Amino acid sequence: MADKILKKEDLAKLIASVTGKGGRFVAPTTAARQIVFKKVSKAEEIAPDYILARNSFKEFLFPQTEVIAEFTVCKDTVDMRGVEVEAPETVVFGARPCEAASLAGMRALFTWDFVDEFFTKRDDNTVVITVGCTKGDEACFCTSVNLSPESTEGADVYMRETEDGGYAVQALTDKGKKFVAAHAAVFSEGSAKARALFMPEKVPGVDLKKISERLKDKSHYDNPVWKKLAMKCIGCGACTFVCPTCRCFDITDEGTAFEGERRKNWDSCQYDSFTLHASGHNPREHQPQRWRNRFMCKFNFYPEKFNSKGCVGCGRCIRVCPVRLDITDVMQEFSK
Amino acid sequence: MNNIYLPQLVTIEEIRDEAPDVRSFKLVFKDPRLREGFDFKTGQFALYSAFGLGESTFCIASSPTKKGYIQCTFRRSGRVTGGLSQLSVGDTMGFRGPYGNSFPIEEWKGKNIVFVAGGIGLPPVRSVIWNVLDNKADYGNITIVYGAKTVADLVYKDELKAWDEMDGVTLVQTVDPGGETPDWKGKVGFVPTVLEEAAPAAANTVAVTCGPPIMIKFVLNALLKLGFDENSVYTTLENKMKCGVGKCGRCNVGDVYVCKEGPVYTAAEIKRMYNDF
Amino acid sequence: MENTLRQKAKDLLASGEVKVVIGWGWNRTKTRTTPVFITDPAEVDQLVWNPLCVNNLSVYLTRKFKDIQALGKPAIVAKGCDIKNIVVLITEAQLKREDVHIIGVACEGVVYKQELWQGQLKPEIMPTKCHNCDVRNPHVADFVVGGKSTFTPPDEPAGMVFSKIKELDSKSSSERWAFWINEFSRCIKCYACRQVCSLCYCERCITEKNMPQWIETSAHPRGNLSWNLIRAMHLVGRCTFCGECERACPVNIPLNLVNQKMIMVVKDSFDFKSGYDEKVHPPMIVFSPDDKESFIK
Repeated sequence: MADKILKKEDLAKLIASVTGKGGRFVAPTTAARQIVFKKVSKAEEIAPDYILARNSFKEFLFPQTEVIAEFTVCKDTVDMRGVEVEAPETVVFGARPCEAASLAGMRALFTWDFVDEFFTKRDDNTVVITVGCTKGDEACFCTSVNLSPESTEGADVYMRETEDGGYAVQALTDKGKKFVAAHAAVFSEGSAKARALFMPEKVPGVDLKKISERLKDKSHYDNPVWKKLAMKCIGCGACTFVCPTCRCFDITDEGTAFEGERRKNWDSCQYDSFTLHASGHNPREHQPQRWRNRFMCKFNFYPEKFNSKGCVGCGRCIRVCPVRLDITDVMQEFSK
Repeated sequence: MNNIYLPQLVTIEEIRDEAPDVRSFKLVFKDPRLREGFDFKTGQFALYSAFGLGESTFCIASSPTKKGYIQCTFRRSGRVTGGLSQLSVGDTMGFRGPYGNSFPIEEWKGKNIVFVAGGIGLPPVRSVIWNVLDNKADYGNITIVYGAKTVADLVYKDELKAWDEMDGVTLVQTVDPGGETPDWKGKVGFVPTVLEEAAPAAANTVAVTCGPPIMIKFVLNALLKLGFDENSVYTTLENKMKCGVGKCGRCNVGDVYVCKEGPVYTAAEIKRMYNDF
Repeated sequence: MENTLRQKAKDLLASGEVKVVIGWGWNRTKTRTTPVFITDPAEVDQLVWNPLCVNNLSVYLTRKFKDIQALGKPAIVAKGCDIKNIVVLITEAQLKREDVHIIGVACEGVVYKQELWQGQLKPEIMPTKCHNCDVRNPHVADFVVGGKSTFTPPDEPAGMVFSKIKELDSKSSSERWAFWINEFSRCIKCYACRQVCSLCYCERCITEKNMPQWIETSAHPRGNLSWNLIRAMHLVGRCTFCGECERACPVNIPLNLVNQKMIMVVKDSFDFKSGYDEKVHPPMIVFSPDDKESFIK
């Protein structure tokens, strides 16, 4: 049930209210002929009619590249300085219910015994506002991974577009409720008719339980089907970079021999160098093995290890793939 | 802010050339509290930094029984180890650890132990060997089977000699065919074969092995053939790692994260894992 | 056309002349084409040919694809523009002419990106390469499917890419620099441009060489610039303007501009266009006394 209404004309006020308090307002906007999550300062910048952004908002919690330490090599020693994470108060507006559902897995991973505060501090300071989808395309498959445009997993505030161009607002978490209270003047009481949601068709035959069971059975590992499905994979990392749940990274040093910085950069399990040992041995030498790892990570490791979704059905990997390798084909295959 | 990726600074106190391209460092923490208080368990690993080049993962090669310093042994093979081998005594490097699980040596008290190592796989095993030898009264007979490609490639040559001369320790050394020198007294043959010939008794015995992935696979088979219980055979898997703390996503063998749930596994656990290392 | 294509594929596989036919097929929902590898003559009906067949399949002939090479001699279904890349691969000793069977397809143009397709091929959804194509009738092939195209390209190359290059050329160098810094700032270092390119066949790319680290792997302005410039330089005199890198780029970096500009420079300096004749070596690997040396100042 909606608690509040955000009138069309009041979205600008909400942005002003957030940025006025020093926060950053992140929303889907148009850049280089694409919908992209970016920091915005005006309501007009927000894309009026979009399916979903090409990037997931994960980059505001886990940036593509960030400095984790700086060092200066001196005569007798090294001066090593940790870097404080920049974690401004952030509002992510207009995320889709699919991508918000990726947060549970990210949180589980980044707090698994060792707490990665580069992630958690940003996460703590971020309010995620999802807006139920009224549009979709053939790559959308949230309904095949037990999600839908009505799902609220990972969202602090859930909104529905209303017929009059505004939003029906539902604060879900404590963070969400505090957010709505903090900007109370912007929201109105009342009700409005919500626009119809877009429900993607279920991929025929997909059965998550079956997939998980089949992946648990070790005999699938050398199944020739991996080769068959992934032979066309060219091994670019595009799918992993646009994926809201992918979170693998590299740690690398940059700079001169005397001073530099240590960075945490997105990396991809689709690269052969990802697992290549210095000795030359590579446990995942062939592309189908790397593809198998990606699929298993999503449909076996995340659900089993972190009790969370590894795939949220946003379809970004399908849209972005230069050879149209469709993860739902693989889901179908392993539902047999 | 608690930065889990921030290394500690250590000073190189001693450098030892073990074999062509293989070097050992004796490291001392700059932080006096760590110098006194640093504790780890045998089998754990760490990430070592060459500043400006990055971090590389290898085991702590010294035994926890040796206090006040740690040792590591590495082969110069990539960017970081290349940088590390440029460092001299007195230079500073980074250390992040200890991480991972360890060999449950407390549970092995009263048992015989067979160590099987190949090439640069000896360092992690050496940590256990010294840990056990420093508490020798608690354990039974010790057998060490160690091999390398050539005689020159055998590491810790002084220690091999020391072990050979110790009571209650049987050392079997071997080199791959073609790797022997005219005065070589040890065996010639691959480690798994030599192990089978040496045929240490399996009763009341624990086995520990480490080496190249392909050697580990054959040694595990050989040990099982010799009658070892798969729950009494241990190995350590060193996959490529970047974070060491279960985040970066590359060390997994199937659903098992080596950095968090390893690197030490029993043969029984390896058998349950995917064939992916 | 499709029937001829399928029949040819069937004959080639059945006779054992080739072991695999690399072509295009439909995806599950028949809305997009995707590469298919046919090894069984009974499966040739998967092969399709239509304006959605954008992929330059020649990438699968490179040594990066060991699993495909292991299948045995391939036949490849290729448009004229794709054949240009095969020609370069042969020129650069990556492939022997007799080791591949080229099934050329006569082509009237394809879409720039598959998502633009709405059932009809209109000039505005075609890439610049198609508007200026001089190889609609495949120039190097063992067999050609389809009737002869009567299209003749305009004397003066035209289209979006050329207009934009003209516009950029008229700007000052600092404006051009600002333009490219901005475009490259989006790069996410996914290397889709490299992976989809059949001419980026190095097994160890310079980005992966880290002793020393030639290119910073971080997706920051410096790293992005060095990657994109180095890739452009490595394609000088080799790139055929097939457009795969731009199509694959998930962040819409206009790589066609970079590559076409390079092609124009090479044409101007060496009177050379890559991809036409497998017996002619690209200018960057040959020395000729006639080479202009105007770049040495």
